[in-house]
Amino acid sequence: MTKKKTLGNVAFYLGNTLIALIFVSPLIWMISSSLKPEAEIFKGLNTLATFIPKAASFSNYVEVFERINMWKFIGNSLFYVLVIILLDLLVNSICGYALAKFEFKGKGLLLTLVISLMVFPAEAIMLPMYREMADLGWINSWASLIVPFVAKCFSIYMFRQFFMDIPDELLEAAAIDGCGPVRTFFKVVMPISGTVYATIFILDFVAHWNDFMWPLLVVTGEEKRTIQLAIQTFFGSKPINYGPIMASLTISAIPMLIMFIFLQKYYVEGIASTGIKG
Amino acid sequence: MQKSVNKASERKAAYIFILPAVVLLAAFLIYPSLQTIRYAFTDYNIMRPDRIVFCGLNNFVELFQDADFWIAVKNTLYFTVLVVPFQTVIALALALLISSRRRGVSIFRAAYFSPQVTSMVVVAILWTVMYNSSPDSGLLNALLVNLGLEPCGFLNDPDTAMNSIIFMSAWQGAGYQMMIFLAGLQGISPEQYEAASIDGAGKIASFFYVTLPGLKNVIQYVVMITVIQAMKLFTQPYVMTKGGPQNSTRTLVYYIYEQGFQKRNFGYACAVAAIFFVIVISLSLGMKKIIKAD
Amino acid sequence: MRKRLVSALLAAVMVSGAFTGCGKTEERVNEDGESVITVWSPSDEPAIEEWWVEKIEEFNQAHEGEIELRREAIVRADSYAYEDKVNAAITSNDLPDILYVDGPNVSIYAANEVTLPLDDIFSEEEWNDFFDSSKQQNTYDGKIYAVGATESSVALYYNKDLLDQAGISIPESKEDAWTWSEYYEAAKKLTKDGVVGTNIIMDKGEGLSYVLEQFWISNGTDFVNEDGSSADGYLNSPEGVEAAKFLNSLIQDGYANIDPIQKEFHNGKAATMLGGSWEVATLEKDYPDLNWGVTYFPVADGDGVLTSPTGDWAASVTKDVQDMDAAREVMRFLFSEDNVTTYAQAISKPPTRVSSYDVLDEYNEYPRSIFKEQLMETGHPRPRTPSYSVLTAEFAEAMLNIFTGVDPQEALDAAAETTDKDYKKYYAND
Repeated sequence: MTKKKTLGNVAFYLGNTLIALIFVSPLIWMISSSLKPEAEIFKGLNTLATFIPKAASFSNYVEVFERINMWKFIGNSLFYVLVIILLDLLVNSICGYALAKFEFKGKGLLLTLVISLMVFPAEAIMLPMYREMADLGWINSWASLIVPFVAKCFSIYMFRQFFMDIPDELLEAAAIDGCGPVRTFFKVVMPISGTVYATIFILDFVAHWNDFMWPLLVVTGEEKRTIQLAIQTFFGSKPINYGPIMASLTISAIPMLIMFIFLQKYYVEGIASTGIKG
Repeated sequence: MQKSVNKASERKAAYIFILPAVVLLAAFLIYPSLQTIRYAFTDYNIMRPDRIVFCGLNNFVELFQDADFWIAVKNTLYFTVLVVPFQTVIALALALLISSRRRGVSIFRAAYFSPQVTSMVVVAILWTVMYNSSPDSGLLNALLVNLGLEPCGFLNDPDTAMNSIIFMSAWQGAGYQMMIFLAGLQGISPEQYEAASIDGAGKIASFFYVTLPGLKNVIQYVVMITVIQAMKLFTQPYVMTKGGPQNSTRTLVYYIYEQGFQKRNFGYACAVAAIFFVIVISLSLGMKKIIKAD
Repeated sequence: MRKRLVSALLAAVMVSGAFTGCGKTEERVNEDGESVITVWSPSDEPAIEEWWVEKIEEFNQAHEGEIELRREAIVRADSYAYEDKVNAAITSNDLPDILYVDGPNVSIYAANEVTLPLDDIFSEEEWNDFFDSSKQQNTYDGKIYAVGATESSVALYYNKDLLDQAGISIPESKEDAWTWSEYYEAAKKLTKDGVVGTNIIMDKGEGLSYVLEQFWISNGTDFVNEDGSSADGYLNSPEGVEAAKFLNSLIQDGYANIDPIQKEFHNGKAATMLGGSWEVATLEKDYPDLNWGVTYFPVADGDGVLTSPTGDWAASVTKDVQDMDAAREVMRFLFSEDNVTTYAQAISKPPTRVSSYDVLDEYNEYPRSIFKEQLMETGHPRPRTPSYSVLTAEFAEAMLNIFTGVDPQEALDAAAETTDKDYKKYYAND
């Protein structure tokens, strides 16, 4: 029995490690390249040695911090991304909840609309949206970075799907205790849905953190420059030096990793541990 | 009596709950989308916003005779049909693989998600190198030659370019769906598994009788968004192949960007977008029907 | 209750936004009553960023009470990003007063009246000090629409050690520049042991048009006719098809890679390369161990025209300018003899003013002298046509199709047809 268990453990860790290596290889290559001198980065790309720097040097990082105000741009990005997410979590979760659990006129229509609107590619509506921002006088303001992205069909739909799984008995019990629908949502539903909120937080964070095109269009100047815009500074004129690019990309990945680690706890607990299901 | 009061307060709450989202969607998604559809009937050149002329159905007539457009439709559908099952299965497998409560699981979870965190710039550089058609510089071709096989053109061969992008996209995107599946797996209580195992169900049986039914809503969501995201494929062809070689990786959204921004034919691009809109909506609504009927 | 407040607030924000109306983002006059002139240019190397700071201070001090010069560094990314930003600004009349544009785009902006003619900002004598290659690039329909401070060129870099081993000698003067068959033979001899003979693909976008157009010119044709109205009969002419076939033979015979790895030549994986003038600085700085040289751009067999690519970013005054006199003052300042010299020095690119070469000695010495010589005597800017963005995308696509097996005539016919369709749709009746 123990032998079988040990064998299972070995298989589990070995298999996962092998698969994990395939998945993290670009990340490792990025970090390794950021520590190499320029001439080494594209040498021997067809061998595995490319994943390990011969002699690590932080000169690329020094260059990044000398050339751009990294802290300010990370701060800018953190600010607008977090504001979007917090508003997103609120606005879309209540909408998704209404779609999952309430009866009201126009519900079917709204659901169809939410699904249809997911479809429209950003590339097709970017220009009309820019014109709208210009008409509102929002160019170069935080509003243009934040407000258009608060309501999100992907989030509404995902919240709806997850809230569907919450048993009606639980909500009825709250109603019997005298909770109105609004209170029930904030006091009962929200606290047991940590995993969903955390998942949307993570997916949203990554999407907005990496966004480049829209901030480029609406923001000019350093005041509100985002981290991705700042990184593009290194793609300026030819020749392109990849050392500082890899270093700045590595730095910009750190907040995402911290966020990811920070939200891990919601994946161990969640609905399962409260035992409300089944 | 009590019931009808509940219904009324529920309806009121519902309208309050949907109001912010509806207002914002109307202002920042529906309004610009309608603009896009309006421009589809004009000869809008991005350089001449002062000289937009209404041109009726001209763009659409041209579109239906445009071979590149039809190839883009075909490529988009091909990509979607292949990548969706592939990526969804990988994502579910990864989620199941690390859903057990062992030590260090969070490290694997982070690893599988990491392609999402890694910038597309890095991913594209590295995969272009791996896919390089010369065995002297390409990792995969070096491997093939060592195994005594013919080197493959990958991104430089019209027959294999799209498949190469499919493989890479599934690898890159699976972590995203995996997170959603993980969230879904949390919703299935351990008691259900215990009950199943008391009934004598093995691992495989409990997967089919507990896990899959428990994930029904989540799978429905994941398939739906994976289809939509697949239909919107843009970044990979943009950074890796520019739609080539020989049109083999030109997708609809890439075509919209290429026509609208690079070639500045914005009116025409909007017409492509309008058709795209119709195709994907009918597809996703059809899918919704199928899932519902199930 | 709280929810209602939030939604009410959101609605209020949007309504108030709707009433602020068309806000112009570019300020035209500042608090001190000075005319504000805003410049957009791509963000660049630290040396250039410092140049801007220093020069803006100098200008603003000299024009206190009259003009305030401001500059916004716009990220360029793969250059489309910069254009997308400009395109967006055009749609809402948000352009800065002075806009830096990439060389071949000068005609596009000019033809669409996004930029204004600048012939009168310099006297004839002053204009004579500018390179013809640069003035040609910046001229559309007989008028000058942009001024550039720097130029670029492409020549054939070679790995001395590999050429010595193969016993290949290099031309001494541009009259002896390699013909296509000499170039082909050299590439053939040099291809061995995992090293390819040459590298003809700078990148798979604009780099293709920039470098490879010269094969069309050298063979006695070009991409488009003189006034830029037609590609048919040029791009797909028999001479053009011959050029495409020659380039394709290098790829098909394995003497050049269709997707070269980054820095293929720098890492000794290609024995020669058609590379830009900017590579000199990289090779000197990052690859001190490589034993390399530069020679002239190859020329077609027989009566081939001596030619080489040129072109670089240049500054235009946009239609949204309000104080043209102030803008003119700024342009005269930015492109003065002195500032062209210091700018070119900072960015280590060849300057556009002849007089600058009196100061910048390094261009009188090999290897940089090769580029100066090409610029002054054999340079040809990219085609000047308002349909350039379609042309260059179509050409890149056609070449990659040819390299993967499509018939050259067929591919170039399609490219010419699409380009001409764009011209007819938007510009033929202007």
